[in-house]
Amino acid sequence: MRNLLSFFLRYSAWFVFAFYAVISAWLLFTKNPFQHHVYLTSAGAVASGVYEVTNKVTSYIGLRDINEDLQWRNAALEAEVIMLRDQTRKLSQVLQQDSLRSIDSIGKFQFVIASVINNSVIRPHNYITIDKGKADGIAPEMGVMDQNGVVGVTNVVSDHHARVISLLNPNFRLSCKLRGNDAFGSLVWDGKSPSEAILEELPRQVKFQPGDTIITSGYSAMFPEGIPVGIVMGSTHGEDDNFHTLRIRLLTDFTTLSTVKVISNRDIVEIKEVEADDATSKPQN
Amino acid sequence: MAKEALKFALMFVLLILAQVVVFNHICLFGVAIPLVFIYFVIKLPLTLGINWVMTLSFLLGLTVDIMSNTQGMNALACTILAVTRAPVLHLYMPRQETISNPEISCNTVGTAVFMKYALTLCAIYCALFFIIESLTFFDPMLLALKIVSSTLLTFVVIMAFDSLASSAK
Repeated sequence: MRNLLSFFLRYSAWFVFAFYAVISAWLLFTKNPFQHHVYLTSAGAVASGVYEVTNKVTSYIGLRDINEDLQWRNAALEAEVIMLRDQTRKLSQVLQQDSLRSIDSIGKFQFVIASVINNSVIRPHNYITIDKGKADGIAPEMGVMDQNGVVGVTNVVSDHHARVISLLNPNFRLSCKLRGNDAFGSLVWDGKSPSEAILEELPRQVKFQPGDTIITSGYSAMFPEGIPVGIVMGSTHGEDDNFHTLRIRLLTDFTTLSTVKVISNRDIVEIKEVEADDATSKPQN
Repeated sequence: MAKEALKFALMFVLLILAQVVVFNHICLFGVAIPLVFIYFVIKLPLTLGINWVMTLSFLLGLTVDIMSNTQGMNALACTILAVTRAPVLHLYMPRQETISNPEISCNTVGTAVFMKYALTLCAIYCALFFIIESLTFFDPMLLALKIVSSTLLTFVVIMAFDSLASSAK
């Protein structure tokens, strides 16, 4: 017994080393970011507290660019409002003659405005921390966008903060399509530049031009259809001959993120239930 | 002794804050990232037992991981760095020399030895960190470039810290 004890004491450094190495490796190889515990992410109380204080100071930097973006967006929306108003006027004339009521599908999505308090663009796996959490109605797997386009998806949520998986993270794949075309592909970051990503698995027969806009497909329930994502820069040769692989310039400027919108989908619970039923019923067939 | 412990506790907090608030957002030429918090591991006193060095280093890495969402990368690299610390120092400074002061600085071990020691530890740490990081995207040229440039940047910043800290006394 004494020998055993002295053995442990003598080689205690090895045991301590092995212990810490195993803990770190375990953390490191928990690949799925949805399994991360809230206290081990930047959404935890201490980390988010630090970032909130620093954000109060640094959020003024970059306001000029954001203001300019907002002006552009505002102009675009104003043009759209005028167009829609015109359309409603025409449609209401038609409706007066028609007894059928149109189905109200608007209002399915709601937005929560949040501030980005921490953000990274230089790591292979980038995450964003925002200052809204469970108390503001945010849950994991909600889409996040800013005034320019898609930003990411919420992942770990604490009471007043949430961590968002950035689009600049290979763990996040976004279903996208070309504007004006229903063929869809999968957008993923390749780790090279914070302003570029790759659109994979776009069927070969789809015609595209550099400069075409890529929008969300609406197949994932996290994002409504039609949110702008990026612009086609050109084609890079993929390994598979049946699919195009396109290089995309992202519309969102991840280096100056400040205010974002979290999209909550009223139907998401229902959609999840349907999908879960489908998954459980398959093996019985 | 208590004063020393307090000094290192303060250093622990300040270095982590500096890393996550300022240095995490710096990326020169898209490759060089300063990983300055390892200054804490470099400066831990010589007389401190290896188990303590490993524990403190692990906690340091883990805290930085939590703050910057890197999940275990810094914790693992810091633990390995803690083990290599003493052998590296003895590489440049023969074991026989009696050490009057347990502090590791330019004054106690000599400027040349301290600089070589700090540079080697920076190189080890950057190599470990970026190799662990490249498990996601493997690109040997980019990896080598990242390791070399980050090592130099980290070393320069740490030396600046050190001269500031020693001139403040």
